[in-house]
Amino acid sequence: MITPSPALPIAVPLVAAAFLAGLRKFLRRWLADLIATATAAANLWLCAALLRGSWHSNIVYWFGNWFPRGRIVVGIGFEVDPVGAGLATLACLLTLLGFIYSWRITDSGRDLFQPLMLIFMAAMCGFAMTADLFNLFVFFELMSTAAFALCGLKTHEPAPLQGAFNFAVTNTVGAFLILTGIALVYAVTGALNMAQIGFLLGSRHDLLVIAAAAFLCSGFLIKAAIAPFHFWLPDAHSVAPTPVCVLFSGLMVELGAFAVLRMTSVMFGQSLLQPHSAFRSTLLLLGSLTVVWGGLMCFAEHHLKRVLAFSTISHGGAMLLGVAIGTPAAITGWLTYLFAHAMAKAGLFFTAGILLHRLQSMSEPQLFKRGRSLRFTAALWLLGGIALAALPPFGLSNGEDLIESATHAHALHLWVTLMFFFTSAMTGAAVLRVGMRVFFGLGDAGPADRAAQIDEAPDGPEEQHRIPARMFLPAALCIALSAAPACIPGFGRWFFNAAHRFLAQSLYIARIYAQPTHYVLPSAPHSDLGSTLMHGAIAVVCALLLASWAVFHLALPRGFRGATHLEGPMFPLRKLQSGHPGDYVVWCMVGFVLLGGCLFLLP
Amino acid sequence: MSQIAHIFPFLVAGWVFLCGLYGIATSRHLVHTVISLAVVQTSTYVLLLNIGFRTGGAAPVFADISPGITTVDPIVQALMLTDVVVEATVMALLLAMVVKAYEKAGTLSPDDLRLMRG
Repeated sequence: MITPSPALPIAVPLVAAAFLAGLRKFLRRWLADLIATATAAANLWLCAALLRGSWHSNIVYWFGNWFPRGRIVVGIGFEVDPVGAGLATLACLLTLLGFIYSWRITDSGRDLFQPLMLIFMAAMCGFAMTADLFNLFVFFELMSTAAFALCGLKTHEPAPLQGAFNFAVTNTVGAFLILTGIALVYAVTGALNMAQIGFLLGSRHDLLVIAAAAFLCSGFLIKAAIAPFHFWLPDAHSVAPTPVCVLFSGLMVELGAFAVLRMTSVMFGQSLLQPHSAFRSTLLLLGSLTVVWGGLMCFAEHHLKRVLAFSTISHGGAMLLGVAIGTPAAITGWLTYLFAHAMAKAGLFFTAGILLHRLQSMSEPQLFKRGRSLRFTAALWLLGGIALAALPPFGLSNGEDLIESATHAHALHLWVTLMFFFTSAMTGAAVLRVGMRVFFGLGDAGPADRAAQIDEAPDGPEEQHRIPARMFLPAALCIALSAAPACIPGFGRWFFNAAHRFLAQSLYIARIYAQPTHYVLPSAPHSDLGSTLMHGAIAVVCALLLASWAVFHLALPRGFRGATHLEGPMFPLRKLQSGHPGDYVVWCMVGFVLLGGCLFLLP
Repeated sequence: MSQIAHIFPFLVAGWVFLCGLYGIATSRHLVHTVISLAVVQTSTYVLLLNIGFRTGGAAPVFADISPGITTVDPIVQALMLTDVVVEATVMALLLAMVVKAYEKAGTLSPDDLRLMRG
């Protein structure tokens, strides 16, 4: 089997998007659907072929054949490693499922929905595979701009405009931080290729390098929705159409953390990634803050998509802990967790979309008792909740176990285990609570907070009485796939190979300069089924107890109704989610100062 | 003296960045927010100009100058051009959203558009 050119997964969807956008007046709806779906499927095949081709050594591609002269890189290059190709494949898979889900629906702004989705997919593929720092920025901006437009697609209501505006302002400030960081890196090295920068910087660790790292990391952490950079995410997720939410939560947010890791491992490898460096401590701090903040807010929300959005924030923080630990075993865990989380969250968003389609609401109090006849939808939702609570065989449990066992120090091990337990229990409890109220009609309707009153315009005209298979199948497939890392034995070995290669800076640089590389894959770590089962069971039981506490709190004596506070005002976290873009940008700057300060001041 | 000349543009870039941020943080008009964002962007221009500048350098058009003459850094020029194009798109998209928001919600104040909070 021949390996396709790495430029194709970017070129093919862009051409198809231009075609669809240009000819949309003349195309029948089914033909436009067919072209978009076929393009996503073709791209999935291309990325999968690249993934296969990069298994033994990274694929390097120079645009216009401008290969390096000596030590100087003169052209723009792609270097496809298994992690990059894998993330691109995941982007194509989620886009394909999104197209299948929205076959002949998603009426609002439908003409540009498909071209924008294709551009979004192309940008994510390019972002994951490029080896050039400025190219990374360009793909970042292309991805962001397509995302802003997709988020505000339903322009006939004011709420999507607010969500998209806040998203756009916050992320554009992030883009300027990244650009400033790139300018500083260029000022120091005179290079833009990440491998060449890594080669030139070596172990250099001075003021300018730290400043550049702080700028770049802050910019990408805004995209990764790490507290306190995360305020834009719930606003954007609660208004975007369902397939777009799937792509946002499943992959776009995680790509922020991917970029941080790619940059630090290839460019700043020897200066930032020492075993006990300030960089690692900073990421541990921010990740823990995000886990707690996201988990608490996740349980406090009553808008279904906002619940899922805050759960993404909390899980994103947990994934950042894996990035912070940064050993090959931890990165294996990070990849496993990322894949399983993307699938579980995609399944949950698709299920929420089914509820919106069938019952025309996204608000928990309004949906109370109305889902009692939807047995299969209930099964998917509850399975998704259990997957978030990391019960085996769902892959989040394996990822969690690998990250936890990668920590050697006892205190750190305990802390990381606690953090993973917190995110599993809180997000699982929130999803199970929604399930108990909506599908079983238990307890009372729950408090109606302000955000839950903003309802989304449904995709169809009125309440539907059946759920079409094209909506149900992607949801079921996603939930099933989130168990794949545990059930298919090849996955673990593959993730380990990918993680090892991802962290090997010398290997990455050598491939850019076309030097021979010798690479021996060490044996993969095994996760212990007993401990994952125990952790998962404890988290699920705690989640169930917490959910029941919230649902049945009125049946309890007055002194035991603490859940009302957890579900209710959640002072001051809820108040900080003010909906004003200026406040969000100020918080981003607070995060930037915090991150920069930690990098400078920590030993 | 040369040290000050070297540091000064960095300070200007930082100052412009902070001015734009102040504008966004205190904005009471959506168009004002977008323009403040454009001010933040201008700081990256100043920074890039400073990095690409060579004292006495000619414009990097190599058609009519002999090799060996100092020019300013052409790569930075390309970066800035890309930056201009990309951000022009973002600004246009944001302004389009503002127009839509005015049509649908009848307001241009971010405070009145805060339907979602908490």
